[in-house]
Amino acid sequence: MLDFLFTGWGAFWMMLVMVVPFGLMFYYVIYRKSVVDSGPSPTPRSKLSRLEGYWLSAAFVIFVGVNLASLKFMPLIAAANASTSGEPLQEISLTATSWAYDISNRQIEAGKPVRFSGKALDTQHGFAVYHPDGRLLFTMLMMPGLTKSTTVIHTFKDPGTYKVRCLEYCGIAHHAMADELTVVKSN
Amino acid sequence: MSIASTIVQNTPIFGKMFSVDKSTGLEEINAWPALMIMASFVWLAVAGLLGLVMPATQLFALDTSWFYMTLTLHGAALSFPFGFQLMVGVGLHRSGGCVGKPVTGWLPALTFITMNLGAALLTVAVLMGLSVSAVVFYPLPLVGAKMGVWSMSSVVLGFTGIYLVLASMILAYPILVIKMMFFGKKREDLVLSERTLNDPGMLGMILASLTLLIAGAPLVVVGTIVMGVLYGIVPASMVAWALEPVVFQYAFYIFAHNMMEAMALMITSAMYATLPLYLADGTRKLFSDKLANLALWVLLLTSITSFLHHFITMYPSQPAMLSYWGNIMSWGTGIGAAITIFSVFATIWQHGLRAEPGIIAVLMGWTLYILDGASAIITSNVAWAYVLHGTMWQSGHFMTVIFSMSLMWMGVFYHHYPVMTGRKLDPVLGAWFVRLASIGGIGAALVMLAGGSAGMPRRYAAWNQEGWMLYGNLLVIFGLIIAASFIVYAYSLMKSRDISSPVGRQVAAA
Repeated sequence: MLDFLFTGWGAFWMMLVMVVPFGLMFYYVIYRKSVVDSGPSPTPRSKLSRLEGYWLSAAFVIFVGVNLASLKFMPLIAAANASTSGEPLQEISLTATSWAYDISNRQIEAGKPVRFSGKALDTQHGFAVYHPDGRLLFTMLMMPGLTKSTTVIHTFKDPGTYKVRCLEYCGIAHHAMADELTVVKSN
Repeated sequence: MSIASTIVQNTPIFGKMFSVDKSTGLEEINAWPALMIMASFVWLAVAGLLGLVMPATQLFALDTSWFYMTLTLHGAALSFPFGFQLMVGVGLHRSGGCVGKPVTGWLPALTFITMNLGAALLTVAVLMGLSVSAVVFYPLPLVGAKMGVWSMSSVVLGFTGIYLVLASMILAYPILVIKMMFFGKKREDLVLSERTLNDPGMLGMILASLTLLIAGAPLVVVGTIVMGVLYGIVPASMVAWALEPVVFQYAFYIFAHNMMEAMALMITSAMYATLPLYLADGTRKLFSDKLANLALWVLLLTSITSFLHHFITMYPSQPAMLSYWGNIMSWGTGIGAAITIFSVFATIWQHGLRAEPGIIAVLMGWTLYILDGASAIITSNVAWAYVLHGTMWQSGHFMTVIFSMSLMWMGVFYHHYPVMTGRKLDPVLGAWFVRLASIGGIGAALVMLAGGSAGMPRRYAAWNQEGWMLYGNLLVIFGLIIAASFIVYAYSLMKSRDISSPVGRQVAAA
């Protein structure tokens, strides 16, 4: 469930979870109080105040719950864990220049964590890796002039050809800035 | 007669829609706002056409440079000379009528000129080839010139335009609002509906102006240095620190993010002012002024530093701690939104609602704004940022925030239109505008967010991959519905009648 929630479509689902109840409530309140009966409501103010407490508590629970659940899926946490665990990493360094990538190694073993370290040489570029089924797995923002490389640690599960695209607008051939990575079965 | 009134009156087509009523003695709070609102609608017409050209270039496989050119112009025209200027125009009229101060003198003139001249210069630069998107993507403009993709003269012209637009938004307009709020003598003859700064209907105006001024200050400094270098006044070697991409980007987003939040504060405040006027029992009071003010303060305090979410995927150059902070503060704005939601629903529940087109446009715009807010906090979560940043999700968020606030301002303007022009609008056309704008706006937002969920990149001239053209086709359909809603709105302004004469259903009944 959580594995799905923190994907692109999981985000869409979460947005609907937040918005659809609001939309229904909006329709109900507006319709009821402008068409059915626009007169003053007999609901006592104390009851509305209690409702206010429940409503804000629910918002707070969603706030805390979703953000706590997301911790496991934050690449920053994965990077911090990797640096302390001593687990061997496949290292891939890359540089981005308008409109191509120079990638140190395009072949990756499945099941072993990979650290991507990227730099942009001229203007801002992105490095987004897509699963063979079209899902966006992660993206990196690279800005020129920075001393540190942008990094992401990711473990590929499925062998196949993974597309790479630039997701930071970088000029009139931005859409042509693409590459591929090959993920093979682990030895 | 004010020069602003004269310009409005003598402008073909648009002048008829916005000409100011001079019989009421309120020209001093109406003339410059009317001119700004009229200019914003001229830019809307330009932006709307460009918005339809954008997917058309993809559907008909036209030269990709057309896509990036229209992308830049559409985004810039919609955000600044349309969206922001509409807000400035309606907001100044409101402020003048609430505090009894005239909107006259050199500050409104400067606000108007810098905004429109700047936007015009940027348009010329883009037509010369400067396709940098509305976000500028510094140092892209300089890199493009170095690569020979566009000329250095287009860069200088474009930056001059952007600089003027920013001067309007960061300096001229906020200073004008602060001057009206805190200085000068109140004139009773200009007071339409008196409000103090404790009033939720006014508090957002001043919070927003201060936000623009303070959050924009770093960008003014960096922008001035960049301009100085471009015009050869300051040697680049002397100010190398300011020309670093990371310095420009952080300065830009501290402003750009908070500009959107300032616009949100201002429109929420305008909604708090307008909603009580349409309560069915005539109470003219919100459920709780304190609760409404609390929502504005929470929104302000959480939004200021939430701009850090723009750089989450740049780890470790942006330290993890700052990304987590941006994440939590962004979700904190959701608490402000939750308070607003309760406040609005409780107000309507207690007192009933007179469902007239103006207030319904405001409430539908607010609904879209809540939808947008949900999409915004989701993409601000660190985990989701890595699968949504740079996709159509964010275009959907950007488009929806601009559209929702514009819809709300168009609703507020609907309310103020009779006072400003001495004419009234047809409620039937108004209802059609709200219907079409709601369908188009919600549809376009969901399609763009779905496209982002599917990994469709934003600012990308190749939708014909991975089945993304489906989202492009749907976007055209909802874009056409939005265009139709604006045409209905413009038509209703054209067909406005004197306050004394019957309109719409009244004509049919007669």
